[in-house]
Amino acid sequence: MPTVKGDGMRGLAVFISDIRNCKSKEAEIKRINKELANIRSKFKGDKTLDGYQKKKYVCKLLFIFLLGHDIDFGHMEAVNLLSSNRYTEKQIGYLFISVLIGANNDLMKLVIQAIRNDLAGRNPIHITLALQCVANIGSREMAEGLSVDIPKLLVSGDTIDSVKQSAALTLLRLLRSSPDSIPMGEWMSRIIHLLNDQHMGVVTAAASLIENLVKKNPEEYKGCVSLAVSRLSRIVTSSYTDLQDYTYYFVPAPWLSVKLLRLLQNYPPPEDPAVKTRLSECLETILNKAQEPPKSKKVQHSNAKNAVLFEAINLIIHMDSDPNLLVRACNQLGQFLQHRETNLRYLALESMCLLATSEFSHEAVKKHQETVITALKTERDVSVRQRAVDLLYAMCDRTNAEEIVGEMLEYLESADYSIREEMVLKVAILAEKYAVDYTWYVDVILNLIRIAGDYVSEEVWYRVIQIVINRDDVQGYAAKTVFEALQAPACHENMVKVGGYILGEFGNLIAGDPRSGSAVQFQLLHSKYHLCSPATRGLLLSAYIKFINLFPEIKHIIQDVLRSDNNMRNADVELQQRSIEYLQLSSITTADVLATVLEEMPPFPERESSILAKLKKKKPSSVPEGSEQKETTASKIPAVQMSNNVDIAPPTSINLMSQGESSTDDFVDQGSPQGGSASVDLLGLGSPTQPTAPSVGSGGLLDMFDTLTSHSSAPATNGIDLGGLSGGAEEAFRKFICKNNGVLFENDLLQIGVKSEYREDLGRLWVFYGNKTTFQLNAFLVDVSTPGNLSETGLSIQQKPVGGEVEAGAQVKQQFNMACVQEFAEAPVMTIQFLYSGAQQKISLKLPVVLNKYITPAEMDANTFFTRWKALNSPSQECQQIIKATSPIDHEQVKAKLIGFSVSVLEKVDPNAENFVSAGILYTRNQQVGILLRLEPNKQAQMYRLTVRASRDKVAKILCDLMQTQL
Amino acid sequence: MIGGLFIYNHKGEVLISRVYRDDIGRNAVDAFRVNVIHARQQVRSPVTNIARTSFFHIKRSNIWLAAVTKQNVNAAMVFEFLHKMTDVMAAYFGKVTEENIKNNFVLIYEILDEILDFGYPQNTDTGILKTFITQQGVKSQSKEETSQITSQVTGQIGWRREGIKYRRNELFLDVLESVNLLMSPQGQVLSAHVAGRIVMKSYLSGMPECKFGINDKVLMESKGGKSGQDDTRGGGYVKNTSGSSSTKTSIAIDDCQFHQCVKLSKFETEHSISFIPPDGEFELMRYRTTKDISLPFRTIPLVREVGRQKMEVKVVVKSNFKPSLLAQKVEVRIPTPLNTSGVQVICMKGKAKYKASENAIVWKIKRMGGMKECQLSAEIELLNTNDKRKWTRPPISMNFEVPFAPSGFKVRYLKVFEPKLNYSDHDVIKWVRYIGRSGLYETRC
Repeated sequence: MPTVKGDGMRGLAVFISDIRNCKSKEAEIKRINKELANIRSKFKGDKTLDGYQKKKYVCKLLFIFLLGHDIDFGHMEAVNLLSSNRYTEKQIGYLFISVLIGANNDLMKLVIQAIRNDLAGRNPIHITLALQCVANIGSREMAEGLSVDIPKLLVSGDTIDSVKQSAALTLLRLLRSSPDSIPMGEWMSRIIHLLNDQHMGVVTAAASLIENLVKKNPEEYKGCVSLAVSRLSRIVTSSYTDLQDYTYYFVPAPWLSVKLLRLLQNYPPPEDPAVKTRLSECLETILNKAQEPPKSKKVQHSNAKNAVLFEAINLIIHMDSDPNLLVRACNQLGQFLQHRETNLRYLALESMCLLATSEFSHEAVKKHQETVITALKTERDVSVRQRAVDLLYAMCDRTNAEEIVGEMLEYLESADYSIREEMVLKVAILAEKYAVDYTWYVDVILNLIRIAGDYVSEEVWYRVIQIVINRDDVQGYAAKTVFEALQAPACHENMVKVGGYILGEFGNLIAGDPRSGSAVQFQLLHSKYHLCSPATRGLLLSAYIKFINLFPEIKHIIQDVLRSDNNMRNADVELQQRSIEYLQLSSITTADVLATVLEEMPPFPERESSILAKLKKKKPSSVPEGSEQKETTASKIPAVQMSNNVDIAPPTSINLMSQGESSTDDFVDQGSPQGGSASVDLLGLGSPTQPTAPSVGSGGLLDMFDTLTSHSSAPATNGIDLGGLSGGAEEAFRKFICKNNGVLFENDLLQIGVKSEYREDLGRLWVFYGNKTTFQLNAFLVDVSTPGNLSETGLSIQQKPVGGEVEAGAQVKQQFNMACVQEFAEAPVMTIQFLYSGAQQKISLKLPVVLNKYITPAEMDANTFFTRWKALNSPSQECQQIIKATSPIDHEQVKAKLIGFSVSVLEKVDPNAENFVSAGILYTRNQQVGILLRLEPNKQAQMYRLTVRASRDKVAKILCDLMQTQL
Repeated sequence: MIGGLFIYNHKGEVLISRVYRDDIGRNAVDAFRVNVIHARQQVRSPVTNIARTSFFHIKRSNIWLAAVTKQNVNAAMVFEFLHKMTDVMAAYFGKVTEENIKNNFVLIYEILDEILDFGYPQNTDTGILKTFITQQGVKSQSKEETSQITSQVTGQIGWRREGIKYRRNELFLDVLESVNLLMSPQGQVLSAHVAGRIVMKSYLSGMPECKFGINDKVLMESKGGKSGQDDTRGGGYVKNTSGSSSTKTSIAIDDCQFHQCVKLSKFETEHSISFIPPDGEFELMRYRTTKDISLPFRTIPLVREVGRQKMEVKVVVKSNFKPSLLAQKVEVRIPTPLNTSGVQVICMKGKAKYKASENAIVWKIKRMGGMKECQLSAEIELLNTNDKRKWTRPPISMNFEVPFAPSGFKVRYLKVFEPKLNYSDHDVIKWVRYIGRSGLYETRC
């Protein structure tokens, strides 16, 4: 840059050397105070300062600020410097402004005006300085103020290359910091042609900008695909001598190549065959180049080359269409698996993990199984080992499951503590998913508990019990194996739990052998009793009472144990209660009753594997999408597949495992289950085989995840729209009218699930916020507002606070308590705000709280119904609508909807069997409102006639509107 | 106990390092430098714990003294020791500066060997140390001298050797007080206290026993009528130069502490201060009073803000003691706002100047008599800033020196008894001097 002679600012140099020579902090402060006073008097003085002096003093202020002192004046002088025509003065002015003037300074308007002047000028150096300042500050105000000027520079024909380059990067910065304040204009369409620019620097800068734009709106920029491909092919085919300045250690334009490859990953494989072939050629060339001997031994050369290669492989995986390329990529990665460089091995494992999920390359990946296993065992870095575990998990299928699980089990013994828990889960899932033979499965899980008992979570041993109970053919084997496992002198508590449960259920299957007779079994279990925690002891007590049923001959021994002070007077109330209750049960009841009460567990309902859900919850990214899809296809093969989908929620009908909920009262008047909590039904006399549907607590949460994943195709929006409701919200809301649980909203960042419970006029709603990203969501704020008159009449809402952050992959729960005061029509609106990587996101949703939730079904016979129907005859009490059916009329479906609407469906009331008649009571805080409903379908005309009568005005209308949306 | 002792210069370079115990390694030296000295005044506590090691430090101008230990020591003892050590160094080579420490490092190591033994503080009395640690090189000592030193260091009166002879028996008493004050703008005293020291210089022969009388309330009352006789006898020799209101006869001392030579048992039982003084200069007593303090000066500030660009300050200083006395080195420091761009000062007496480096107007008056009044007025120009914070108005502070004790402290008598040699109390020439200085003497404005 042109530095004028004598422009050296001697005063500044003297000042700086003074400061440097200061012996102590105090001396430095004194010197600075003196200088500040001097500058103040100079700025205050009436005579005007010339540009040089202004620059000098502003420079001094800047230096003082950088030393850590506050500067509260001189801003105006700095802004004045901007209007100077000299480079150095302008430069210092811009420097001061980008360092010291914050985004919300009053002077910002002036600064923006000065920048605009510079941008409009002809001098490229001034333009570049201005752009640099904009990029450094990047405030919203700037984005708004300069949203026209900068794009104009970018697409205008007469700007020079280096300015274009800066303009592209500055625009990118503004787009990142305030994406919504840049208006879209006609420049948008021209911007992709920058990829064709002569100047490589411009192309590189533009590639970043375009990628950002594409991420927001892929359709608009579709044209960039062919341009990017042609540019890429030109780079790839050029030799390193062609692109003089843009060759980095013999690799032509590596950064640009990587950017272009990334850009292409935003689109599906190109449809135009010509483009497609060209792209394939490019990728092939890149793969070919990887095989060539390196042109340099320098590490930079191989780094640049491999960066391009890995990005190319990522693109191949993304397109997932060309088997040839996939296999080649896989082979290339296979080579890297044995590379000296740890980073390369890590990347190879990671990419292979993705490759394994593609159907074309799955087999190719499997070839490297041996290498991966060696890596698992020998790798020094734990993060690489972790990737090896992931890859093994991904490449596992029925053919190699046994071997992989074996290897993982073997490795588990020496595995690093940080990855043990995850490995345990993965082994458990693989064993379950690919088990051909249940005995093998049981062996694996018991081994797992033996080797890494501490890391075996509850879910794992719940699961093995579910499977054993649901499969008759393994029960005997399982009992025998656990019996043997328990004989080890020291076994893990989880093993005792499994042992207690299985022997309690199926001990009789192995009692024939005198070596494992009833007394032997009992003694074996009881020898562990004193070493266990209260929870396990409770489980063992339940096993004992089951033994009484299975082996009447050892009844007295067990009764003695139950009667001992250690149990009957235990400090732990739960144990005490169990001992007393079981003792009474065994001594009072007859053998028949006992046999009924202590019957074998009924099979569990089929659900998604809870372990898988747990793994997903732990690490959303570590389970490749593909593996799930495979799982679902696999589960269609009925032959060997064991019940893959059993939920852990312990069936409450004979809930011996449940802790702390059983009560003595229930026991005394057994057989008369009280209403309310399902777990009260301790003995299950009421309905022994019917599993209770609503699972509370963790079960429900896992259930949530189940639905969350199945809804991944739900409409995804960016969630940045301001004002009205976020996309898809209304539709999701409608689903909730007849449903209590499910996914309310989902986009790339966030999943919002809802679970609710209602009783009379009270409702409780849990909202689950799941962070889908790999970043923390900051400043997480939830606000609920009730629209219009709702607040004065309808609902009273209490909101539990939610924490300010949501960790990556974590889920946060928030509870709302809502009481219905009066009838209401509009649902409350929930506004969620958070910062995602610095950008403010806002989502508005309707909370799924509707009036019909507060209805309780009522049963009545035909007479009562019609008497009441006739009593409610005033016009304001009735609402009738004729509705066109949106789907074919199906009796069962409509019935389910009505039940979901929480009214009863009364049979044999209406003479026409096709018609529905329903009744319910709406509870509000002030009164109860009787609801009567008639629905008459007309199959020929595909119409419904819906009549609702309610004892209170307006209610009928609201309910009628709600029901209408569902038909 | 103290595990090691380090002396650093202001850059954190080690000047002296002496380790007494094995649990302190060389890395402790670096730990302190990195965590305290280089923290650029972020660390304000004198005790710092780094990795289970405690560092106690004091700072003398640019020199850091740090004692290091891994044990749970008495922190007050360590600080007392550090201060004693700086006194000892000052007695040997004057001011404690980097230059002096570098020039005398051999001597310092010698002293450190003597005053700390395996981390336990030993005799730190300068007079005694000087008998066997000399700056005149190694002096071969006779057997007698060696045994004398040994018996004296280990004996009952470790602070004075026997056989001292003076032709003229003379003693000097200095009562040095520092007054601390915080006053509201309306002239209301918010807090005030006096910290006083009595420094004695004795040139007496033999092993004299001294008795010291002061006008402390408790001591006076306990003596009752009996002391009346003593008063008349001692009074003749003590020059009473106090100029402050001498109407009250006794003062209330809040707390006091004595040099080790004072027999505390006698003080407890008989309420008398009796001692065998060390030879030369020492600090006999320290005390503190908070009641009935006669404040030598009053400052009356008047600050008027004229718009956002200008400020007017008027300060009146009144002296409040006998007109016959003269105060010296009077200095008034008037803080100015941080955005001051120019100052015009007018004062009748003394010199006043705006010191930009300290953000204050400094007004110096060399001498000022009692019951006088001086005035200063200043116009301060301000620069507009975009900082909306209001100026906090720090208090106006004062420095001065007056020839009386503001607490009202008086020496009533000091009697010397020497039973073995034949000189009596009358033959000793005694001098008493009172100096009152300002501590933190501030008035809010």
